[in-house]
Amino acid sequence: MKNVKPASFFESSARVRVAKLVDAGSFKEFCPPQLRRTSPHLARLNAPVAFDDGVAVGSATLAGHKILIAAQEGKFNGGAVGEVHGAKLAGLLDRGVRELPRAVLLLIDSGGVRLHEANAGLIAISEVMRAVLRCQEAGVPVLALVGGACGAFGGMGIVTRLCNEIIMSEEGRLGLSGPEVIETVQGVEEFDSRDRPLVWRVTGGKVRRALGEATYLVDDDICSFRSVTAELLCRYQTKPLAPVDIDEISAEHARLTERTKRFATARDGREIFQASGFVDLDEVSLLPVAKFNQQLLESL
Amino acid sequence: MNQPSENPIIWDTQMRNCAGRLDRGAAFAHGREVSTDDITKLLEAVIEPGDRVCIEGNNQKQADFLSRSLLKTDPSRVRDLHLLQSVLALPEHLDIIERGQVSRIDFSFSGQQAGRLAALVEQGRITIGAIHTYLELFSRYFIDLTPKVALIAAQAADREGNLYTGPNTEDTPAIVEATAFKNGIVIAQVNEVVDKLPRVDIPADWVSYFVKAPTPHYIEPLFTRDPSHITEIQILMAMIAIKGLYAEYGITRLNHGIGFDTAAIELLLPTYAAELGLKGKICTHWALNPHPTLIPAIEAGFVQSVHSFGSEVGMERYISARPDIFFVGRDGTMRSNRAFSQAAGHYACDLFIGSTLQIDMEGNSSTATKGRIAGFGGAPNMGSDARGRRHASPAWLRAGREALRNGTMPRGRKLVAQIVETNREQMQPAFVERLDAWDLAESAGMELPPVMIYGDDITHIITEEGISNLLLCESAEEREQAIRGVAGYTAAGMARDRRMVENLRDRGIVRYPEDLGISKRHATRDLLAARNIKELVHASGGLYTPPRQFRNW
Repeated sequence: MKNVKPASFFESSARVRVAKLVDAGSFKEFCPPQLRRTSPHLARLNAPVAFDDGVAVGSATLAGHKILIAAQEGKFNGGAVGEVHGAKLAGLLDRGVRELPRAVLLLIDSGGVRLHEANAGLIAISEVMRAVLRCQEAGVPVLALVGGACGAFGGMGIVTRLCNEIIMSEEGRLGLSGPEVIETVQGVEEFDSRDRPLVWRVTGGKVRRALGEATYLVDDDICSFRSVTAELLCRYQTKPLAPVDIDEISAEHARLTERTKRFATARDGREIFQASGFVDLDEVSLLPVAKFNQQLLESL
Repeated sequence: MNQPSENPIIWDTQMRNCAGRLDRGAAFAHGREVSTDDITKLLEAVIEPGDRVCIEGNNQKQADFLSRSLLKTDPSRVRDLHLLQSVLALPEHLDIIERGQVSRIDFSFSGQQAGRLAALVEQGRITIGAIHTYLELFSRYFIDLTPKVALIAAQAADREGNLYTGPNTEDTPAIVEATAFKNGIVIAQVNEVVDKLPRVDIPADWVSYFVKAPTPHYIEPLFTRDPSHITEIQILMAMIAIKGLYAEYGITRLNHGIGFDTAAIELLLPTYAAELGLKGKICTHWALNPHPTLIPAIEAGFVQSVHSFGSEVGMERYISARPDIFFVGRDGTMRSNRAFSQAAGHYACDLFIGSTLQIDMEGNSSTATKGRIAGFGGAPNMGSDARGRRHASPAWLRAGREALRNGTMPRGRKLVAQIVETNREQMQPAFVERLDAWDLAESAGMELPPVMIYGDDITHIITEEGISNLLLCESAEEREQAIRGVAGYTAAGMARDRRMVENLRDRGIVRYPEDLGISKRHATRDLLAARNIKELVHASGGLYTPPRQFRNW
């Protein structure tokens, strides 16, 4: 049928995201739902379980490049990381160390640790973090794709920031404590989680791109995520990920220090946009992605 | 015979009474202007016990400051009121009843206050005169329910008291006309007082007093439906509506009830309907509020004209930029008019389509549930055959031909369709053997069960299972089976006579998606011209400014 819109990343399930992101039919899943590796903790609490524990992991090709890929399902417990879920992620990354694919892609859609699983979930997250670093040490870049309804928060927000590239859509969100958490702890005066434009001005894709945390901002369709990812994979083919040296770390620290100064007084995304060279601040949230990227580029 | 009688009849008692009120009110006003602090005293001065008081308020605009001020009046002076309301929307409307200042109420819709109202009726603390449709209530303002005092809301007044109602003109002209020309008192709350109005919607001559409200009057964004909540089932039903009803009859003039089902139809016009080659052939002229979900169809050139009951929050700039489509004044803002748009929906539209909560086996539909007196609003005005209509149109004539059973006199027929999922939230069946309206009528002592649309007015029922054309049914028994035939896995649907339904299907009375050449596989959200509010904003070229609760970017 014509007149059909490209598939939205935001609206798609984890498996649809994977299927439409990689080369058609190339996804081979590890620990598929048929094996029913469900969470023992959820079962003990009589809470519903998922046969894949809320994450699909496997191998595929993307524009011909061999990759490993994981996709969190935000519709199951908000994509929260439990013991099995975390083990699947860490296991995939460790496989990356052995098999040396062009990259490992993490399609992150998660509020962080699964609170039902307490310490097991926390440990799982820390294992994922270490596995990301091991992968990178082995020369395998890890890319985060963030554009789901749950965003990338809590421990998964940290995992996201460890990645070599962060590709976000405007709808995607990235942060440490989620808006509701901040409101609960610090009060509604500090942060009104129901003020949706505010939430997006502080955690959304555009402000994360302006801050330089997201390395790419793309439209909310799987095709756009695919084309940027394909571009990056080509780049890593010609220029493989080099081990990090002290100069690079120093440069990054200098950049972060400079950023802290540049946005020292900013209390809201509006001020970040202003400091990033945007003039009509009311229009920023409505700017099409291509225009936003162009304006940001011009001001840098 | 010509000698003067001892007790001459006085013909201007009302005029004298009105003059007396204005005299008393003068102490609290400077000309027509009343200061915010004096409004309660003014109300006490001009309202008399037993007055019929109309507080402007419908499902959108509310004279909320005047409602709150009425609550502060002395109950020993302002009492025994007979309230006339389009909609009992605010808690204040019920608070004034609870304070014992109101003895009787006539209204058309109560929405969120439906539960509280039912409780007050049950406790005997209020008598309901009648529950109306909008047009009936407006009509009665001019016959036997003329307001003595009208408390209305406008955007702005000038120093003389001319009023600018802005895009949300809504009920104001009907209320003011009835009150001002029958010696009543018209009091307007305004958001601002200015030297020069953009345009005059209500002349100062018809206005007794105006007061600047401390906060702008409340307007509910009632007609905003976020496309991200539209389900694939609703998309399938929208496809059935477009192909099995709109295309079939060539419906150009119509009204949509509010809901996600009809929003789905609006969003499928530039995609699915365009693909069927229906652009310019259907949905060109509307009686409709400025639904944000209509933006893509307007931008695609589907729509030629839209007249509105009221405006919609956030649509103002878009409307102003599309004066070919909407009714826009020379000042550049829309003028809506609920009474005219209701009349237009009744007499000048060939189709009404809307959703409901329950449909019985005679096709009667109702949104009433026990313990809630919700009323009607405008749906019955649109969702009924216009028996007084005389002008012909192809859709109207075809429906009339299909309906003709006895006699030979050709006559048209309005298309009235209900679009419902067979099971609603929490698996509540939409198809029932007996409407809850019967129980409500019994418990609230109503003379009639509150039926939104009567079975003999309904022509089509659309569900995810298919579409039934009730016009073509030859008998009551066939009608019943035609309803059961699209009632899916509800108890009423399972009780169908399968042979009869198959027979109806052979005759094209019951049609399923496959009979219409619709593949269920194609009913995906990617068919929506906009899948979320942001895409609506982009479709509008940035002109639509959605209220913040609808944003997620």
